[in-house]
Amino acid sequence: MAALAHSDDTPGVLDVHSLLRTIRNGLIVVVALSLIVVILTAFLRPLIASVKVDESVTTTLAQLVILVLPYIAYIAAGSAVRDQLSDHPLRAVLTALLATLVLFVVISIGHFVFHLGPFVPTSSLEMTFTEAEGGALVESLVPGGVAEEAGVQVGDLITAVRRDPVTSGTLSALIARSAEDSPFRLRIVRGGEETQLTVRTVLAGNDDLGKLLPGLVVALIVTAVAIFWPGQWTPYVILLAILLPLLIGYFWLIIATFSYRTEGLIPLDGQGNVGGWTLNNWNFLFGADISGLNVSIWQITLNSLIIAVAMMVIVLLVSSMAGYALSRMNFAGRRAFLSFTLVLHGFPAVTLLIPIFFVMSYLGKVPLVGEFIGFNKPVGISLVMVAFELPLGVWLMKGFFDNIPWDIERSALIDGASRWRTYWEILLPQIRPGILALGIFAFIGGWNAFLIPQTYSTGAGTINLPVFLRQLINETAPVNWNQVAAVGMFQLIPVFIIFIFAQEYLLNIYAGGTKGSS
Amino acid sequence: MEVKIENLKKQFGQVIGVKDLDLNVRDGEFVALLGPSGCGKTTTLLMLAGIYKPTDGTIRFGDRVVNQVQPRDRNIGMVFQSYALYPHMTVFGNISYPLKLKKVPKQEQMERVERVANTMGIGGLLDRRPGQLSGGQQQRVALGRALVKEPDILLFDEPLSNLDARLRLTMRSEIKQLQNRLGITAIYVTHDQVEAMTMADRIAVMNQGVLQAFDTPEDLYDRPKTLFVAGFVGNPPMNFADVSVMAEHGGFTARNESIRLQVPAERGQKAAAAGKVRMGIRPEDIHVVDEGDAVTAEVVIVEPLGRDAMLDVRFGSDQFLVLADPQKHIRAGDQVKLHFDMDSVQFFDLQSERSLLWN
Repeated sequence: MAALAHSDDTPGVLDVHSLLRTIRNGLIVVVALSLIVVILTAFLRPLIASVKVDESVTTTLAQLVILVLPYIAYIAAGSAVRDQLSDHPLRAVLTALLATLVLFVVISIGHFVFHLGPFVPTSSLEMTFTEAEGGALVESLVPGGVAEEAGVQVGDLITAVRRDPVTSGTLSALIARSAEDSPFRLRIVRGGEETQLTVRTVLAGNDDLGKLLPGLVVALIVTAVAIFWPGQWTPYVILLAILLPLLIGYFWLIIATFSYRTEGLIPLDGQGNVGGWTLNNWNFLFGADISGLNVSIWQITLNSLIIAVAMMVIVLLVSSMAGYALSRMNFAGRRAFLSFTLVLHGFPAVTLLIPIFFVMSYLGKVPLVGEFIGFNKPVGISLVMVAFELPLGVWLMKGFFDNIPWDIERSALIDGASRWRTYWEILLPQIRPGILALGIFAFIGGWNAFLIPQTYSTGAGTINLPVFLRQLINETAPVNWNQVAAVGMFQLIPVFIIFIFAQEYLLNIYAGGTKGSS
Repeated sequence: MEVKIENLKKQFGQVIGVKDLDLNVRDGEFVALLGPSGCGKTTTLLMLAGIYKPTDGTIRFGDRVVNQVQPRDRNIGMVFQSYALYPHMTVFGNISYPLKLKKVPKQEQMERVERVANTMGIGGLLDRRPGQLSGGQQQRVALGRALVKEPDILLFDEPLSNLDARLRLTMRSEIKQLQNRLGITAIYVTHDQVEAMTMADRIAVMNQGVLQAFDTPEDLYDRPKTLFVAGFVGNPPMNFADVSVMAEHGGFTARNESIRLQVPAERGQKAAAAGKVRMGIRPEDIHVVDEGDAVTAEVVIVEPLGRDAMLDVRFGSDQFLVLADPQKHIRAGDQVKLHFDMDSVQFFDLQSERSLLWN
């Protein structure tokens, strides 16, 4: 007891207890993860293989665990000393680094024994070579190795593999990338004469201890980062990692619209060199007829806008009034209406496409208004989508009205307002966040609508942006994807702008409301 | 403005909200509608406001029948429990809203709002929003909004329930003073009898949609006409015991198996003929005494109230509440002697539950 207290109090350079504890932490990680690998490879894989399923998941997982195992062990060692950091910083760092060194040795021995990590067997021609003029000069041969057996001699100059000229560097890379037992037809210059020899690669154990040194440096760096890592960053880093695929998508969209073509995220020009920045993809804004439909992009944008605005206005008007009536008034069939609306909300729109077509073509024959609301007219098209959007809107608005206390409405009536005026001046301002949210949803729904406009618009005059985008993706001719990306980007711009300005309302959806009245 | 309610009835589907209500409120009078929750008092108020239409009966403001008159044409002001302020308007906007709807000129609106706001002590808050005000300030704004259009009748729906106890006390006297000064007829719904007793000129006690009594606070307390009123009015509530009142030795005695009490002749006379009756006596009329002609009881619970200690005592099958001097240091389990002051004892008929003394 006394000895223990003594060792705790002494601010020595190293505390053996703490060092052992840190190493123990790391070893627990090593053992635990190794166990997982063993379970994956020795039990799960045969089990799955026995039912004759071709699978690579266990292998991949096992490889992944083997790959990250050392780093997790070092991180464990680093984190183990974090609580001592403020009291004895030097001792904490030394403890962690020493523990890491021990763990590194243990792990390296494991790697060596099981031929893992740096000791994983690689393809080899069982010879060494150096850089020389015109190719790779053979320096030494493994006695009895594949190269010697094929007839390669020290001093040979390897100029090419098949017909591709090689240097020592490219040859090493080729060998490393090749699978086991792949043939290398070497073009060799020996004593001024050129011959050809075929050597097949073998898997050779890799026992180059020199490779361990960079590994150790990385291990110590990982440990140091783990010691000083600001803990509050961890959630952000994890979230960012999850978010990355999405971000990359948007990143690609932006790069693609401004480049000739792209390979992955790298913009390329016609010759395949990095670069190739261009504004040509945006030519459609200035009258370039990229679809062959001979219609101005602004006409199409206007159609999109008409559909979106009409949808927003009608949805807001109808749902707010219907929501009010359903929330505040008692009339025959109210309950039935409510449940029916809910059913309608779940109704698949596609099944109604053909009957709606008949309705629309009859509407088109109505004098005067038929000009606007019939088949192949933007407002008519938006009317169809309004019908599909209304059930949701009515329910949403009813919910918002339900949350306004009755007393406020009664108070307005007693103060002298008519029912209309109460609705307009007292109730609507209180559900402003709801109105804004529904309006934005309806607008964006109309702006991005594809199925209904695609079905009920023929010819170029009435199509909207999403339909136009679809027209660009031609089945028979090559598609200029960068141009498609540019049009898609163009369609996205208003949505971005709306969200930038409206997110405050969308986020503060609870703020305005009926706060302060109670 | 006089308010006359005749035979008023309100039915929601099968549920009866208010049944055969008759009530006359005099001009300038402060009337409280008192009752437990669900008794129909708020329903009555909303019918007066014009929010609910009566199923039957008539409501008259002065000589005008207002059954079908819209709320805005009744010239009433109303204050709600939740204040019902318009959260998107400033205090000025809230108070001036009734004037704006009446199309009062802007200049006059400003003057009247300012005058009312100053009366209510919220003159400095006119550009705030309700969300930025405390409960008491919101209440004042609501009151100001009700007063600004100079209504003929003021309706209150439990306006003080959401305030803390101390603020409730000050607001109580403020509202009463204001009403007194302005002379506006006021109808005030509450379930708090202290509020009703302190503020109202007359109290209408309601229970299950039926008017139980309509009297001054003193009459309700000293001369309750029904058993419900006797039990509902007064805190702590009246004690009840079933007794028989008999003429004995030239006087009257109320007795059951555990008590035997002398009753004043004038009260005993009225109760003696009825056989078994329910006797009511208020906690403050029972005294803990050291000796004398007394009932012995066991103390079950002692609740210190500060000025008094409330004792829950048991004798025979009866359990009574008694107020005692806290200096006596009575504890639960003690035996105490009780003296009953029978001068204000009440007697009720067991079947009709009506008072035998005051009908």
